[in-house]
Amino acid sequence: MTRAVVATGLGAVGPWGVGVEALAGCLAQGATRPVVVDRSAGYHAPGGARTALTASGLDLSALVPPASARRMSPPARFAVAALRLALADAGLANADHERTGIVVGTAFGPAFVTEQLLIQLLRQGPEAASPAAFTESVASASAAQMAMAVGARGPNLAITQRETSDLAALAEGARLVATGAAERVLVAAVDEMIPLLHAVLDRFRALARPGADGAEVARPFDRRRDGFLAAEGAAVVVLEAEPDALGRGARPLARLAGVVRGFDASAPAWDWGTGSGPLAATLARGLRRAGVAPGSIDLVVSGASGARRGDRLEAGVLTTLFGQRLPAVVAPKGTVGEPGGAHLAAALLAASGRAIGPTRGFEEPDPELGLRPSVAEKLPAPRRTLVSALASGGAATWVVLDAPEPSPARAV
Amino acid sequence: MSGEPVAVTGLGAVSGFGWGVEELWRGVLSGASAIRDFHRFDHTGYRTHVASEVPDGPALDPEAGGPRLTLADRFALVAAAEALAGARLPERLEGAAAGLFFGSSTGGMFESEQFFAQLVGRPRRAPIGLLSAQQPCGPGDAVARAHGVTGPVETIASACASATLALGAALDALRSGEIELALAGGSDSLCRLTFGGFNALRAVDERPCRPFRRERAGMSIGEGAAVLVLESRARAERRGAPVLAWLAGVGASCDAHHMTSPDPQGEGISRAVAAALADAGLAPAAIDFVNLHGTGTPANDSAEARMLARIFGARAPALPATSTKGCVGHFLGAAGAVEALVTVLCLEHGLVHPTPGEGTLDPGLGVDLVVGAPRALPAARRALSTNLAFGGANAACVLLHPEAA
Amino acid sequence: MSPELLVPRLKQLLVSSLHLEGLAPESIADDEPLFSSRLGLDSVDALELVVALEREFGVSVPSEEIGGETFSSVRALADWLAPRLAAASGGAGR
Repeated sequence: MTRAVVATGLGAVGPWGVGVEALAGCLAQGATRPVVVDRSAGYHAPGGARTALTASGLDLSALVPPASARRMSPPARFAVAALRLALADAGLANADHERTGIVVGTAFGPAFVTEQLLIQLLRQGPEAASPAAFTESVASASAAQMAMAVGARGPNLAITQRETSDLAALAEGARLVATGAAERVLVAAVDEMIPLLHAVLDRFRALARPGADGAEVARPFDRRRDGFLAAEGAAVVVLEAEPDALGRGARPLARLAGVVRGFDASAPAWDWGTGSGPLAATLARGLRRAGVAPGSIDLVVSGASGARRGDRLEAGVLTTLFGQRLPAVVAPKGTVGEPGGAHLAAALLAASGRAIGPTRGFEEPDPELGLRPSVAEKLPAPRRTLVSALASGGAATWVVLDAPEPSPARAV
Repeated sequence: MSGEPVAVTGLGAVSGFGWGVEELWRGVLSGASAIRDFHRFDHTGYRTHVASEVPDGPALDPEAGGPRLTLADRFALVAAAEALAGARLPERLEGAAAGLFFGSSTGGMFESEQFFAQLVGRPRRAPIGLLSAQQPCGPGDAVARAHGVTGPVETIASACASATLALGAALDALRSGEIELALAGGSDSLCRLTFGGFNALRAVDERPCRPFRRERAGMSIGEGAAVLVLESRARAERRGAPVLAWLAGVGASCDAHHMTSPDPQGEGISRAVAAALADAGLAPAAIDFVNLHGTGTPANDSAEARMLARIFGARAPALPATSTKGCVGHFLGAAGAVEALVTVLCLEHGLVHPTPGEGTLDPGLGVDLVVGAPRALPAARRALSTNLAFGGANAACVLLHPEAA
Repeated sequence: MSPELLVPRLKQLLVSSLHLEGLAPESIADDEPLFSSRLGLDSVDALELVVALEREFGVSVPSEEIGGETFSSVRALADWLAPRLAAASGGAGR
């Protein structure tokens, strides 16, 4: 038994602020405020990236009361806050969640409490280790906190698959709704960015480095790209069976028309591979299985982040799949960085007909790529959107989102 | 709401009993426990000094497979190679519509701890290579890379329920036709983070764990990997594959109750079991034995006993049950995989392995735990395996004898 | 240290180690049940408090005491702790 799946609610918190409108504003205006990362722990190598897009100053107390946030790690707070916003957006703020599932995608998990626990264990000894930190250090802690926050008693799982964690979670959430294992699923993409993680990513040369003017700019698909912007935050998407959503009078943001997953075995453990041909073949096969003709896709929300090899792989897959008929490609990570859920939220916004701005950071085409992303401030509302996320290490997920029927956009 | 079963056509395992399924099976039948003193790291100052550690083997040679592989990667790679060989499949899967679904709790955390220990000492000298596969997806990705998987590759990191949830994701991917073949399993290695974490929660037994015993006082940590080759019925029949068992259903639920304690009434795990049975299209009466999560913590074992009473009613006290954790400790993110694998072996051989552990059975639990020697159940056709995790995530799966589907 | 002097220190420790933000330490009554609904503490908090006690006072808290009468209130905790601190300081020369 399979049921058609629609997204009926979206919530997000991140460096741009609280709520989807704040994200939409940031995407439209490109107004991000990079924060200089604390290097006092000495984790960083000299030079390198200095900044990250952090959300530590957000006041989430209205969404996550301090008493309940007491033992939550930062990513769990982000996730629960985004969850409240998403449920309100879906008109489900007071719904019963007996058969609601939770699927969390997280690239790095609760990094801060893990670091604290390791410091306690390795420096001070086992008796100094905090039991509460341990319970919050597991990758699924956000999923558990979300479930406890609203009483979601359906299937509960967390996926860690690097840069594709967000779309992988959306894919599994869609599966649980489609099979009827859950009545609805709250899909979260969540991560936090701490100095340790920032330092490690920078040592791997994964982050954009300061340019001549000192600014660190992610340049998706640009010839000069040298890494991504480190970010944090959370996005939550409410998934329901289409008949359920329509039956209760909900206005879907988008309909899931297909999910395709693949793997590039040429990828090393901490970088992207070169298997764009096989990945494109997997994508083409998957789209065919879903009954989606590549020609029917009129927008690509690309996971390209400014990563040197990652963007090359992404361009290779897209140009192989679409050939000369490449639709508009927008890479929102040029504005909002990663991880932290903004890519997923931007994709939902775009599919529902909202503008998500141009591909920021892109200026000079890379002749090796044969792809120029869109730099238009506003594109026509798409009927069908392909969302991509290729992960270092090899995993890949694509999701096809159709505009809601019959009207292309919801009232704001 | 039931769906088609999928064939289990290959098995691979690495455990405290050694490098292979045969070693594991001999070990669990022996009635002895692989939980003992261990050497992976210095455990001075911890509350317990026992764990189930994978013995040395050629795959632990740093040169084998490349120096950057973590322990958890190495366990996973050996188990996957054994499973593929047993399934009579080629080493490379590019030509197959294959996916991989893994569970892991900490991936390469053991290696990350070495990096971190150096980082906190002399920050800028720590070798970054130690972190190259630090995350939970490290072992699954390594296996997918080694065998040329081209389809979905996904690691679920839902603590102790991870691998059973991965079996569920694999089952649905096979049923939907997205793939025809899956490597499903999990891998975790001993590490200070987990060992220290459960130590801080005072959830570890000083002695090897004593599931369902009156004297039970906590869990014992283990390490290792287990991989099951799953194939759609059509593919297995087409190629005349050896069918070892059928994975007939997986169910999941959440207590939404507490971060560490299971719902004391066993209501959450009962819903996961009911969902797994419904997915398999079976009534509780069809189940012949149960491989319980059975960690040996007072709360877990009593919640599971309540589940048995809820699901199986008057039959519960006479339903044969076992806990593989008494033999090889708690595999954490890989627990569901090794326990499903052992359940397949129990069905195949018509034998339920005993659960080691000192002390006497807790009469208050009313569980018919197999102890001492294996119990012959030659007519057993259908079995259940359960897992309960941090944060209240529960999962269960139903496995069938080859002749039962 | 007498139980009376320990009580305010324990309340402070309770608030800081368990992140009871917004709760004034003096608002916790000496004999208020710690694991009551008002404070919303649970078994993980008890263990967290033990780590804080061991760090702050250098005592070792056996598992049997946790969750029992000893942890029922600040007062009970102070009564349990005081003689152990006295014993520890008395034996400090060894």
